[in-house]
Amino acid sequence: MKAAAAAVWAGARAEAVQLRRSPLLVMLAVIQAVTFLVLVSLFGLTGSRAPTALVDLDGSDIAARFVGSLSAAHHSFALQRMDARTADAELHRGSLVAVITIPRGFGDAVRRGDTVPVPVAVDNVDADLTDDVQRAVPTAIAAFARDLGLPGIRLHPAELDLVGHDTDFIPYLVISALALDALVVAGVLAAISVAREFEGGTARVLALSPVHPLAPIAGRVVTTGAVSLVALLLTWVLVVVGYRVPPVNPVEILAGLAACVVIFSCVGVAVGALIRRTLPVTALIFGIALPLYIDSGALEPERFDGNLIWGLAHTSPVYYAVGVLEDAAHGLRVTPEPVWLDMLALFGWAALAVAVAWNVLRRRIVA
Amino acid sequence: MRAIWRLARLDLSLWRRSPWAVVSALIPPLGMALLLAVLTLSVGRQPVALVVEGTGQSARDMAQIIEIDTEAYALTVTDAATAARLLHDQEVAGVVVIPAGFEAAVVHHTAALDMTLNNIDIDFADDIRRTLARSVAEFDAPQLGIQGELGGPSQGFVMPNPYRVAIAETNLRRTNVDFLRYQVLPALVLLVLSTGLMGTALLSARDVERGTARHLVLAPVSSWGLVAGRFTGGLLASFVVLVPALVLSTVTGVISPPPDHWPALLALFAATTLCAAGIGATLGAWIRRARTVAMAASIVATYLFFLGGGFTTIAFLPEWLRTIGAAIPIRYAIEGMRQCLFYPDLTGVATDLAVLTTTAVLAIGVGAVTVRRSWSNMT
Repeated sequence: MKAAAAAVWAGARAEAVQLRRSPLLVMLAVIQAVTFLVLVSLFGLTGSRAPTALVDLDGSDIAARFVGSLSAAHHSFALQRMDARTADAELHRGSLVAVITIPRGFGDAVRRGDTVPVPVAVDNVDADLTDDVQRAVPTAIAAFARDLGLPGIRLHPAELDLVGHDTDFIPYLVISALALDALVVAGVLAAISVAREFEGGTARVLALSPVHPLAPIAGRVVTTGAVSLVALLLTWVLVVVGYRVPPVNPVEILAGLAACVVIFSCVGVAVGALIRRTLPVTALIFGIALPLYIDSGALEPERFDGNLIWGLAHTSPVYYAVGVLEDAAHGLRVTPEPVWLDMLALFGWAALAVAVAWNVLRRRIVA
Repeated sequence: MRAIWRLARLDLSLWRRSPWAVVSALIPPLGMALLLAVLTLSVGRQPVALVVEGTGQSARDMAQIIEIDTEAYALTVTDAATAARLLHDQEVAGVVVIPAGFEAAVVHHTAALDMTLNNIDIDFADDIRRTLARSVAEFDAPQLGIQGELGGPSQGFVMPNPYRVAIAETNLRRTNVDFLRYQVLPALVLLVLSTGLMGTALLSARDVERGTARHLVLAPVSSWGLVAGRFTGGLLASFVVLVPALVLSTVTGVISPPPDHWPALLALFAATTLCAAGIGATLGAWIRRARTVAMAASIVATYLFFLGGGFTTIAFLPEWLRTIGAAIPIRYAIEGMRQCLFYPDLTGVATDLAVLTTTAVLAIGVGAVTVRRSWSNMT
């Protein structure tokens, strides 16, 4: 037992030395973690506020109130005032989603009680943004009429929200991105460490060692896990300070991240032992990370996308990790399962990942 | 020329004999394609339950407005108890109730359409709010519905409504480009980036790491000829992957530009491949260790791809991000290709091509010098 512990410790120290000699690799791991925050932020930035030209040919106070309603229409438009010719050119260049033109005489006509057609030109190249514009303009018109207190409107929407506050899209995304970070950083570092043993031929030597041959590898993975955890904690600090997302429950975040590191380090061990090449592991883990991430409730509760996709999501630990992390950071329940069950499932995944990694290694080295 | 061609063929065969390197280059774009497929399923329609408690014509009219808008709602019409369960179990994101007494309230202009919304994040919550607001507006102003937006006032036919505003919508193109077709192009660009960048980077790094660069330097061929051979090999490797993908996309109709746009589209792909090969050669010769190169190449490809508008439209981002995006060559590739595929003319494509070609020349120049230096340092 003492010998095995010494072998684990020696493996951990050897990996630390190895990583110290590869500062670029460690630096790239941290950069990779931050990269995903940037990536999801970019995605989040285009999730709302379609760039829209506003051509106001009227200039009346009524037109100004209509513009106010457009601006307030559920984060729908990033309005840019411009003349008609520029707006048309920009629309045809693909820089705008739509051009809304308030015609001359708009204010007077509304005062008279006439119905004024407002020209809306849409670049319907992207169905998602086109849908947003087509739904947002009537929303703005309804708000405008309410604002003016126009008579004759028989029906109004009455909304009751389940959550007491609206969570912005980017703060939501960056928390789920922490799970993606854990997958990529912990997975890649552990996989490279294990694959190196096979590539360098030291795996054969380990099989001949007087202690259990997996002990030194376990030590190496402990080190890569520790480095991954530090990278994740740095990323989390960036989320708290840079994105201003203070956690509702920091202990839960820490537990979630630690479980993720264990799970994905073990996944990395299994991948490294199966592939036995350092070269493809980064691309492999990165490639599988994106679809797993999207199918995990990263953008919205996964069940909203239908039971098939939701069912598939259960086959990935990222689903449970996102459930735990969103609850810890925002107090949001994004899985139908209670959070304690998500946490339990996460620990279950960790145990399973350890067992699978151990088994794969044993077959590759000992057997 | 013969030496260049031989080295190119050697690199290509090395590439073919390194299945893991090929897999490394192919997995990220395949992952991206899978991601797009998943995203496509979650775009556009919102899962909503409808409970009709009101009786009478107005309640039926309101229910019909919601039921026929199949492009906006993934609707489940049910009773209140089931709707509450669906909402709790996250099978729907919102419950819309046409309440009892709706008919009388409509007469008194005090009718309300109740919606309970699971507003976990504003992205999809706002989608539902906008969708429901349009349905409500449509009740008093049918022309504010999607058919009215497209077919009424824009044709000169305006029906008076109590909101006093109608929408005269005109679309730039006859059909909407669906999300998958809009995004498949960036997946192809990622394929080019991934194979060109990672392929050339790994070939360059391998020569240094394995010491074969020494033999190359001693070969009776000018070092510039060898460098040219390396780039040609990287390009061929990219084309081996890109051409079948392009053919497949064309045959299946995923990409279908106007016939006269093909030359510009192919030129953009070629320039992008050259750019990727140049950047890859620089990276590989500079970093030199294959496993670090693989990670660095994947990060560089990610930044080039995402800051270049691979997942977004750069023109739709805030000013400061557009400024950064202006320095990313892939932005010009994606914008130019979108122009070729989705727009009737080639406005701006010449500029995009010029920027890409200049960047490719620069990247190849820097890459050539770096590769040559890395070989010289071996001797």
